[in-house]
Amino acid sequence: MSLLSAVARAGPSSQISVHSVQRTLLPSIVPTLNLVDAKRHKTDKAGQQKRPPTGTPSQAGYLKREEKSNRWRKALLQFRPLPANQLDHPLFNPETEGKLEVPAFTPKTITAADSIGQAYEIEPPADDPLRIFGLPRSVHFEFRILTKPYTVVRQVTKDTVEYLSRAKKQSSAQNRLVMTGRAGCGKSFLMLQAVEHCVRDEWIVIYIPRAINLVNSTTPYAYDIRTQTYLQPAYSFQTLQRMLTVNKAKLAEIPLVEDLVLEKQTLTKGTKLTKVIEFAIAERARTVGQSPAILDAVMRSLDVQTDFPVLLAVDEIQALYGKSSYKDPHFLPIQPYHLSLPRLILEYASGKRQFSRGAVLGALSVSQTLHPVPLELSDALGLEDMHAFPISPFQKRNKEMLLYTEGLKKLAVPEKLTLEEATGVFEVWKGRKAIGREGMYYDEMLLGKYTESAGNARDFVWKGLLNTLEA
Amino acid sequence: MVHILGINLPDNKLAKFALTSIYGIGHHTAHRLCARLQVHDKCKVKDLSPFQVTSLASFLSSPGTAPPLPRYPLATPDYVPPPTSVSTQELQANFLENYRKKKVKNSDPLKNLKIESELRREIRENIAHQRMIGSYVGRRHAMHLPVRGQNTQNNAKTARKLNRLDRH
Repeated sequence: MSLLSAVARAGPSSQISVHSVQRTLLPSIVPTLNLVDAKRHKTDKAGQQKRPPTGTPSQAGYLKREEKSNRWRKALLQFRPLPANQLDHPLFNPETEGKLEVPAFTPKTITAADSIGQAYEIEPPADDPLRIFGLPRSVHFEFRILTKPYTVVRQVTKDTVEYLSRAKKQSSAQNRLVMTGRAGCGKSFLMLQAVEHCVRDEWIVIYIPRAINLVNSTTPYAYDIRTQTYLQPAYSFQTLQRMLTVNKAKLAEIPLVEDLVLEKQTLTKGTKLTKVIEFAIAERARTVGQSPAILDAVMRSLDVQTDFPVLLAVDEIQALYGKSSYKDPHFLPIQPYHLSLPRLILEYASGKRQFSRGAVLGALSVSQTLHPVPLELSDALGLEDMHAFPISPFQKRNKEMLLYTEGLKKLAVPEKLTLEEATGVFEVWKGRKAIGREGMYYDEMLLGKYTESAGNARDFVWKGLLNTLEA
Repeated sequence: MVHILGINLPDNKLAKFALTSIYGIGHHTAHRLCARLQVHDKCKVKDLSPFQVTSLASFLSSPGTAPPLPRYPLATPDYVPPPTSVSTQELQANFLENYRKKKVKNSDPLKNLKIESELRREIRENIAHQRMIGSYVGRRHAMHLPVRGQNTQNNAKTARKLNRLDRH
């Protein structure tokens, strides 16, 4: 029975107790459910007497309905597994939670000769990008179910790591890659592997897991006459905070390359970047409006320095090349290149700005229906096969956007997992006791589901393994 | 709780939807107002800055007399911002100087916005005018019956309840 179908189903209208849900869900994978009793009170329409409307029709509120404050409905919380030391209910036995022992994810272990198809555990310290920058939704959910971040090394991972080791010595203008491929082929996972590898390999890492949040009108924006763009102060502040947490030791050695003139004071050239960002965070109320300027100054200092290579990794990058949901005061849509943070990323992605050492990695997210891959990006990366209909040369392209797509190269993530890689993925889910029972023919299940999903990674796990009766 | 023109906007509501509680502002007008004040879609009423609240209140008190919005320039791909030695006030002053020289027509649809008492007055006047000229529409309003040709054999309950000469 699929875990997701159990999560998503409407359920009976009577009170859902913890125990009844446990019977329907998988005790082996999710030991206990941190569920709040989801009471759904049915509104007793028959019992309510209809009051005659008060006042005259000319008065406001004549036909106003009664407020729905008495209807109480608590949303079902997302599943969070309990820590292992709290599993003291007699229902659980020591083997409920499978113990999977795999090597740690480090640059040396993943580049070993026999690493393809081997699962690794990413052991994230407190300042890891995984924790601080966050993760794309699908990866986040998968790690939530698995409880630990396990990842399988593929041939394409090794190729990317090799590419990054060459990019370490080159300017980022020569190393601008966008990961492309079918839905569910492993682009976000590959990007995460690249980010984790770089952090452990002494790179400065800036990771934006959900670029859609930059253009979907969820953060404040304000026009700035100096840059002639719309600044996004809140998101810039958050990015600065996160950059500082993840890269503190390295930023402490990099100085500001020129004076940073703010409203009430000036930070002189030579100030270490950690001090600059700490100042911004300490005086948050005053400086949050100037955080785009501070972020710009920090990025310019990173451009010039040669001590550390810099990785700018952006998932869901197609959102930055499409349309944004922001509107200007005249209600005209604002293009992403007129928003401060997307413009910054587009400038690095197009080579207009570059790090002396480093790379720019992007990953498409084909599953996002509200942000499809735009024409300009399709043209630049040669993605004619992705579209259902042939792309006409007469369809309009945004000329300014075309300038921002110049020089992008694609890294085509293989559509299929090889059998070796699929075995590694299978071992992770089997090791965590998500699938299987005593006396089961695991090879039948592996080969069957691998064939059914045609090797697609997401389909193999979510529509294959977790959709079986043994899950 | 933010009060605008005597109307209370609940704090936890999205500003875009809270504005629809004002009589005469629907979803589209609310969205346009938010864009005018540079309020993003997911902004709650409690997150509005005092400047945004005061400019919203001052605009809504008389939309017709609000100054026209200038069209600010947007950066080209090769735009280089001026050095920080040039202050923002100076840049703003230069822009406004050049802008005032051009005579730009105010084509903002919000300048004709009517809300609350003004809108109710307009509706009352329209109904009174229909009655005064002795039209069918006026007669139907006076008889508390449907105006737009609906059936009255059954189902004219809303019209019987609401259609008045002094409707608003």
